[in-house]
Amino acid sequence: MTFYAPFCLPFILGAAVMFLTLAWKWGKWLWLLPRRDKMRLLRGLPTRRTLQAVGEVISESLLHRRIFRVNPLLGYMHMSLAFGWFLLIAVGWIETIAYLGFRYVPLQGHVFFKYFATGLAHKPVFDQLMDLLLLFVLSGVALAWGKRFYSRAMGLKRTTKHVLGDRIALSALWFIFPARLVAESTTCAIYGGGGFLTGGLGGWMADHIGIMPLLTMESAAWWFYSSCLGIFFVALPFSRYMHIFTEIPLIFLRRYGIRSGEKESSYDNFQVEACSRCGICIDPCQLQSVLGINDVQSVYFLRDRRYNHLRLQVADNCLMCGRCAERCPVDIDLNTLRLNSRDRMRNVPDERRYGYFKDLDRSSGQGRVGYFAGCMTLLTPRTLSAMTAIFEAAGEEVWWADREGGVCCGRPLKLAGETDSARKMMKYNADLFRKHGITTLVTSCPICLKVFREDYDLPGIEVLHHSEYILRLIRAGRLTLEHGSTRFTYHDPCELGRGSGIYDEPRAVIEAVGELLEPASTRENALCCGSSVANTAISDGQQLQIARSVAAELEATGAEVIVTACPLCKKAIGRGTRSQVRDLSEIVAASIK
Amino acid sequence: MKKRIIVIGGGVAGMQTALRLAEQGIEPVIVEKEPELGGKLRGWHVLFPTFTPAEQVLTDLRRRVNERGIEVMTSTEVVGLEPRGVTLADGRRLTCDSVVLASGSTLFDASIKEEYGYGIYDNVFTSADLERMFNEGRVTKADGSAPRRIAFLHCVGSRDEKVCQQHCSKVCCVTGVKQAIEMKRLFPEADVFNFYMDIRMFGPGYEELYREAQQSYNIHFVRGRISEASPTLEGRVQIKAEDTLTGRPLRMSVDMLVLLIGMRANDDNARLADGAGLQRARSGFMAPRDLFLGNVASNVGGIFYAGTVTAPKTIGESLNEATAAADAAVRYVEA
Repeated sequence: MTFYAPFCLPFILGAAVMFLTLAWKWGKWLWLLPRRDKMRLLRGLPTRRTLQAVGEVISESLLHRRIFRVNPLLGYMHMSLAFGWFLLIAVGWIETIAYLGFRYVPLQGHVFFKYFATGLAHKPVFDQLMDLLLLFVLSGVALAWGKRFYSRAMGLKRTTKHVLGDRIALSALWFIFPARLVAESTTCAIYGGGGFLTGGLGGWMADHIGIMPLLTMESAAWWFYSSCLGIFFVALPFSRYMHIFTEIPLIFLRRYGIRSGEKESSYDNFQVEACSRCGICIDPCQLQSVLGINDVQSVYFLRDRRYNHLRLQVADNCLMCGRCAERCPVDIDLNTLRLNSRDRMRNVPDERRYGYFKDLDRSSGQGRVGYFAGCMTLLTPRTLSAMTAIFEAAGEEVWWADREGGVCCGRPLKLAGETDSARKMMKYNADLFRKHGITTLVTSCPICLKVFREDYDLPGIEVLHHSEYILRLIRAGRLTLEHGSTRFTYHDPCELGRGSGIYDEPRAVIEAVGELLEPASTRENALCCGSSVANTAISDGQQLQIARSVAAELEATGAEVIVTACPLCKKAIGRGTRSQVRDLSEIVAASIK
Repeated sequence: MKKRIIVIGGGVAGMQTALRLAEQGIEPVIVEKEPELGGKLRGWHVLFPTFTPAEQVLTDLRRRVNERGIEVMTSTEVVGLEPRGVTLADGRRLTCDSVVLASGSTLFDASIKEEYGYGIYDNVFTSADLERMFNEGRVTKADGSAPRRIAFLHCVGSRDEKVCQQHCSKVCCVTGVKQAIEMKRLFPEADVFNFYMDIRMFGPGYEELYREAQQSYNIHFVRGRISEASPTLEGRVQIKAEDTLTGRPLRMSVDMLVLLIGMRANDDNARLADGAGLQRARSGFMAPRDLFLGNVASNVGGIFYAGTVTAPKTIGESLNEATAAADAAVRYVEA
């Protein structure tokens, strides 16, 4: 039995091109990984992380569990295509073994088995099973067609605008399974056999079409099927379908602890090309929903970066609120990738600019607790007065970092891509903090908090957001508060909530002084105030538009006071409403007994 | 029967409009939401650039309104208007032949610029607070002592995108110069600083006053906005700014920080405009039909504007405009 026919050629060539390109890409990316990451990979391989990665590959790359959480229909569509196709291949393989026993069969022999197996005695179980799987995949293809026309049914208001390469691959993919159905059915029409689908359609064809046209049709159908596969395979490494294979190594590397950083690295390639351009990131983006900007979202950023035509305007135009990253089914570290793109395009450290650090430190004294207000808190001094009152009521001896020569935490510069300049500020501040022997560093600014926790080297110093610190004071009985009847609503700051995972502490503090009402978008789904320091591209008026939309949602709770725990959010939301906007510390200070 | 025109607002523009209407045989009615006539000028001390007491101008206007027997409804708020009548807050409707809207503007609330600490720490005042203190004859720090160093900050709530007030309030520059001189007269030993972005001395005698402030009163003008203010342990106010002429950041402690607050559009402009189909400028002020030949007319026939309801203006400009608005309204009702 030979497993070759001329129509196999497009498939064989396509598969060869695909596998060679994949090997080249993966090889290059792995080879270029920093030594540190290579070591992580080698050390991680023989551990149970490998098993966990296998589990994640099954649940994400095949079953698409995370997409089910966005929308069940969308999840089913992705699962039927990925898992269905995988099962067709796997069961097809078993079918070949069942028919021929363990012997070498070339790749095209497995793929086009129905064509070559016409002379063998049929095994109806496999015929039915394979038809069932084909129907499973075809249902996904039908949904994909449907999604083109009515994406809202799958929970997507907007879908991705695709590039030409994607369109070619997409068209080929859509035709693969209908083509397979026709090709197998035609063969069944001539030679008999087949399950309920191919056999049924084949029987109908045999009844209505003469044998000569059927023979011509069979040849044409298998050629068409093989060509669709070939075109898809050639296009795959250059299109969004590269994600099919890239997500797998990404999952393994991530499990081994490899991460993207503020400088671009070879690992980023795995993340960038693992993006399937599903477009789930578009809807949560407030630049899109409020301002109608629709070419900067993560899907377009990653596309532009992948094809090397990323512009600074696109990289810059992002609030880095993390709403898209929260929903990304591939869990790509979108903010970090954008950050290191900005770093590559804008990092131009100016050595003279930081000359003023010299002579700045006029600090004296010590304190168990250090308080770093941060620039934005200095611009919202009600928070500062409230913190003073709270420290006093708790009898805390505080070392005031800002008054003693502290400079900007460095995060705004880092977010703008000027990472080297930011490092200078971080080093200066960290030295200052260490010098005064503090054991706790409290800040009322989530922007500062995030950078202190993630980028500062502060051994022996616990960094706390004021919401965490105040809650500790309350629980330790050092702060007694009057519980009133005021109804508050709480706005989760991006850097505090999604950025640092602090959701419960501010809520617990609010509940200690009054009633808490949750807005429609809350916790992980909370909206961004719009004035994020990460976005230097939108205008002040556009920031205000976002602030108004956020304020409207907060006001809709019917609360008397809008509370937040970030000085920047407070200022931003305050511009968009006439309602009272207060920092957490203000409502606490006002309730001290 | 006499034609009747309702003037909404009893500030200088409203009173002048009513007087001019009465002169021409029209029956004006002033509807004022406050308990007495006078508008923003009540509580103001002296007027730039001549240091004329504000009370003198007000008294004269009130006396003439009184002598003419013009009907005045105080403590009466208008919630809607149309060319033939207005609706009051209590639901009553007054009919008339035309309406002149002279409802003025609102002073910017300085506590919105939280970084300057107004309402948070002692010794931060607004220009309006200072006028009140001048009138009371008691200008002191919060602890009752005399200030030795005073800083004025221009453009608080004007030309500031961050608080959605992009327009120039026009009168604060010269008010800052005037108040600086008054402070210097009260406290000759004190150092007085004015922090500004631009000094806009557009009116007659203004530039001269500015020169006098520097040459005769030794008042310091620093080009640069104050970025933030914070309290010091001694109860003073520490300010941070950048002197943009020398390009250096500066920090100083002052005894008093005076914020020269701008004028913003009234909150109820939006409601009045929507009800009557009137157009508003992006700043929220009412938009005249055009800025040249129709600058006291609205886009709705029979509704006219006088004073700062359309933009920040000086007292003199408001008075002139009131005359023009009255004349336009008369032409309208007699046509």
